[in-house]
Amino acid sequence: MVASDREVVRGPEQVKWIQFAPYFAVATILVVLPLFLSSYTQGVMTRFLVFALFSAGYNLVFGYLGLPSLGHAAYFGAGGYAVAVLKLHYGTDLFWLGVPLGILTATLIAALFGLIALRVSGLYFLLVTFALGQLLFSVAWNVKWLNSPGMQGIAGLSFPSFGIPGLTVNSTSYYYLVLLITAFCILALHRIVCSPFGHALVGIREGEDRMRALGYNTWLYKYIAFIISGAFSGVAGVLFAYYNYMIDPNHLGVGTSFLPMCMAIIGGMGTLLGPVLGAAVIISVELVASIVTPDRWPLILGGIFVLTIMFARQGIGVYLVELSKRAGYPYGSTKG
Amino acid sequence: MEALKVDGLSINFGGVKAVNDVSFSVEVGERLAIIGPNGAGKTTLFNLINGQLSPTRGQIFFFGEDVSDLPTHQRAQLGQARSFQIISLLQNLTVLENTLLTLHGTKPHRFKMFRQIQDFRDVFEKAVYELKRVGLWEKRGDLVKNLSYGEQRRLEIHLGLSMEPKLLLLDEPSAGSTKEESADIIGIIKNLESDITVLIVDHDMEMVFELAERIMVLHYGEVIADGTPDEIQIDQRVREIYMGVEESTDHVGAC
Repeated sequence: MVASDREVVRGPEQVKWIQFAPYFAVATILVVLPLFLSSYTQGVMTRFLVFALFSAGYNLVFGYLGLPSLGHAAYFGAGGYAVAVLKLHYGTDLFWLGVPLGILTATLIAALFGLIALRVSGLYFLLVTFALGQLLFSVAWNVKWLNSPGMQGIAGLSFPSFGIPGLTVNSTSYYYLVLLITAFCILALHRIVCSPFGHALVGIREGEDRMRALGYNTWLYKYIAFIISGAFSGVAGVLFAYYNYMIDPNHLGVGTSFLPMCMAIIGGMGTLLGPVLGAAVIISVELVASIVTPDRWPLILGGIFVLTIMFARQGIGVYLVELSKRAGYPYGSTKG
Repeated sequence: MEALKVDGLSINFGGVKAVNDVSFSVEVGERLAIIGPNGAGKTTLFNLINGQLSPTRGQIFFFGEDVSDLPTHQRAQLGQARSFQIISLLQNLTVLENTLLTLHGTKPHRFKMFRQIQDFRDVFEKAVYELKRVGLWEKRGDLVKNLSYGEQRRLEIHLGLSMEPKLLLLDEPSAGSTKEESADIIGIIKNLESDITVLIVDHDMEMVFELAERIMVLHYGEVIADGTPDEIQIDQRVREIYMGVEESTDHVGAC
């Protein structure tokens, strides 16, 4: 029943198990590979997962709703700062405390900023979200309480503790924790984008006036999506802070905001897994570039960006799916 | 009973009075056509009734309820459906996705977040039923932008009807259609249940006189005539303003 319904919604395509094969392959690599890697490379993979989650959450607003936010680092950084402040002022790195507090902080800030940013759309939305992000950046820069003594930002963070005697977290176990949470969040996002709510977001992107005439309170949809997106960014920020040992104002700023946008565009905006693929591309290039030519990293990123726009405008992910379809591979919808 | 009552409705765009002190009411089940030359304010009037624009002055009552300050989506919830002059289907989505979004729009579960859209069985069955009725079931997986113009028109009007509206606003339903497609649309509207109130704006006089029980003529934002098709046809002012060309040729002939 379920398979045939899927087929109906997606159009007359056959759903075969083989189209899930690439997902199984990737999942296997993500689970098995880190066991054979150094703790440094495990860290890189953790970084990939964190940004995959950040970008996938961001994409709910950017790709599905079609609103270009350049300020999502505000919610990412807010999650990270929540964890860092807990450590700095209250001396605790308890996971059960950090995660809810981080999500709560990010969600509240998104709920506040969303009220302001959603008054406009298009380029103005980009500018307002950018300005709000920079506002938070300068708050973090100037408020003493948000900085370790004698430096910008908060240092000395560590992997979280769970309050269970004898359980310590190292880079391997932290990787698997992040993998678990990221997988859970992506599944949740999958549920959301396949629901009536998620379809309505795409409808609003394609024609807000029509959606209003159909009875949808489009503003409320946008606002809720913005908050959800902020919450997922906050989760990513929390996971980032635990692994990165420090957090500084730049993690709230435009440089960090630009990353999920870049990843979504390169991988395929408006698709669930496009941003994940984009994160994989950017983090691997970042890794290679940092070893080969540390100074040329932005140049290389720019090059990839231009190539993507020229040859795979809808993103590498969509491009690959189209390619495999043309080769006769019974692939699922590009919307998967 | 009055389905719609418009009282002293005016809207100014800068100094231009696009709709100027318009008052009329429509009985439940009535089929009213609004005609007038280009720029007469017909679409603007629709935008006011539907809530896309808010009036400078005046009030709108929908089944006795003052809806003047309600946003569009709430008027849709009350039972207004609309087709647009320029087809407003979601061009980059499939036929089925458009249908599902339309059907979910007036359902209380339209905010549901964790159930897949196709798992709402009743809505899904209705979508299947509607698409088979419009004859677009085979094309359910096609993007709307790949349909022919006539198919898009038909889909749009059917989707408007599938909302089970009390009031249907049709803005130039025949625009861009061939003769056969227009006849198709006339058929659809004629077969509507008699308690659905319909307002039509169209330039296709054949369609207007075929469908309307009553015709209202707008000119520079003002109502200059309001009556049965027969009355409108012989109204001197309407002939002067709306069919002026015909009159002047008469004069030429008389000379």
